[in-house]
Amino acid sequence: MDQAIEKILALIWSPFNALEELIAEWLPGQEVAALIAYGVYVLIILAGGFMAIGSRNLIRAMIGLVLTFLGVAGLYLLLASPFLAFMQVLIYVGAVCVLIFFAIMLTRNTNEGEESKLPGIGSALYGLLAFLLPLAVLGPLIVKNVPKLTLQSYGQTETRLLGEGLITQDVFSFELISIILLVAMAGAVFLAWRRRPTPEDPPQPKTGSAPSLSTKGGAQK
Amino acid sequence: MELTIANFVQIVIACLLIIALMVGNAVIMVYIERKAAGFIQRRPGPYEVGPRGTIQAICDSMKLLGKQLFIPGNVDWLLYFLAPVMAFLPVLLLFLPIPFGKYLVALKVDDGILLILAFAGLGVISNILAGWASNNKYGLLGAARAVAQSVAYEIPMIMALLAVVFMAGSLNLSEIVERQGTWPWQWNIVFQPLACFIYFVSLVGETNRAPFDLPEAESELTAGFHTEYSGMGFALFFLSEYANMLLVSFVCATFFLGGYKGPILDGFWWTFIKAYAVMCLIVWLRWTFPRVRFDQLLNINWKWLLPLSILNLWVTAIVLKFIE
Repeated sequence: MDQAIEKILALIWSPFNALEELIAEWLPGQEVAALIAYGVYVLIILAGGFMAIGSRNLIRAMIGLVLTFLGVAGLYLLLASPFLAFMQVLIYVGAVCVLIFFAIMLTRNTNEGEESKLPGIGSALYGLLAFLLPLAVLGPLIVKNVPKLTLQSYGQTETRLLGEGLITQDVFSFELISIILLVAMAGAVFLAWRRRPTPEDPPQPKTGSAPSLSTKGGAQK
Repeated sequence: MELTIANFVQIVIACLLIIALMVGNAVIMVYIERKAAGFIQRRPGPYEVGPRGTIQAICDSMKLLGKQLFIPGNVDWLLYFLAPVMAFLPVLLLFLPIPFGKYLVALKVDDGILLILAFAGLGVISNILAGWASNNKYGLLGAARAVAQSVAYEIPMIMALLAVVFMAGSLNLSEIVERQGTWPWQWNIVFQPLACFIYFVSLVGETNRAPFDLPEAESELTAGFHTEYSGMGFALFFLSEYANMLLVSFVCATFFLGGYKGPILDGFWWTFIKAYAVMCLIVWLRWTFPRVRFDQLLNINWKWLLPLSILNLWVTAIVLKFIE
């Protein structure tokens, strides 16, 4: 009885074992489970990318973008940096995509914009060029040093090292990036700033702009 | 962490238990919520079905299961069906790193709190998709409010948790519990009262509960982003809303109330007692306070919670440096 079960189990596992041997022959030193995970993540990224460029609807394109971001987060996990992976999800999916949605909603007619038509052959060529350029620059580098994919995690040492790096050796670039963000924020505040009308001011004529979702509307009436 | 068969089995069992917890929690909380609402508003609440109305919630869920799946005209059907599923699925993941007991952790992640904060953001996306895809003005307005609200309230929430992380020097939820003591005066709520308060206010905002239930304000927007959902679509939103409430309560218990540590005997019962105490507080709050206006909601966040949380973080860092 036990032997029968063992045989059945061996039969079930045999394709996986064969795959494992094949992979071990091709890419020595890589974990098989990590490679499978890598394949899944790449599929997710590609599917998301095609959804983002292929759909005629801006919101569906945004969902494609979300899928791509999730796949990239998975790749960070495989490179043993869960901190970066979680930050990718937190910032890009949780904040950037949500703000993109907000921007889409403030513009009307999501189905009838420029992007609802299929691109011509010229823009498709430009797109292909834009795709091949990073590949040509980064491809040889990646082929030269294949990173070791892993499902292991080095725990909090990674997060700690990252934090120490940001405040010691990379502090200059870190601060530079914060200044860029600060400039963007100050610019946004400057653009959106409007003085509240005092009672002495003449009433402002109504402009024909789209109704905004700003919360100040009530105070200005 | 190595991926072994044992680990895999552990995670599968944990997921099943978490689903059971989510469903059981929804049934129990609906009963508690309706009874509490009845008590506060001087009416009996559910009392017809079963002894003292205890089976009412189960009957309601049966009704939801049996309802027809209705698709309104001109909706984006893919996103319309994707939204409730997207609301439900990430919640499963969020419960994995919670330490219910000392050894009762589904997945020991070193950056546990980051995992929770990161994937909680997917819930917002499901809300806005639901509001947008259902081709309804109420839905769209609810979605717009959900975006502004959740993006705003996420920031003080993270800052408040960060103050505790500063004290513990770790992002691991189990370690944060281990740093706290057995007795209530050794819990983080004593050392970080402001952070606890900020976290509590923002968790009400993050889970879209009254008085901050602007995205689904039923007296203004019928049901906000889930106006067009009926049957199982609505049930999934409902389930995930209560599961999210439970999750933030567990995080509150872990970060501020000592987690599984408590007088007499440590154990998972303390986590559950504390989390459900927080849940009852949220329910009490809902039926006591009127809904705030939208500009008030954003003013509370940007003018009070955010500066206070930055101040709290700053003071925490300075005090920690002095103690060192």
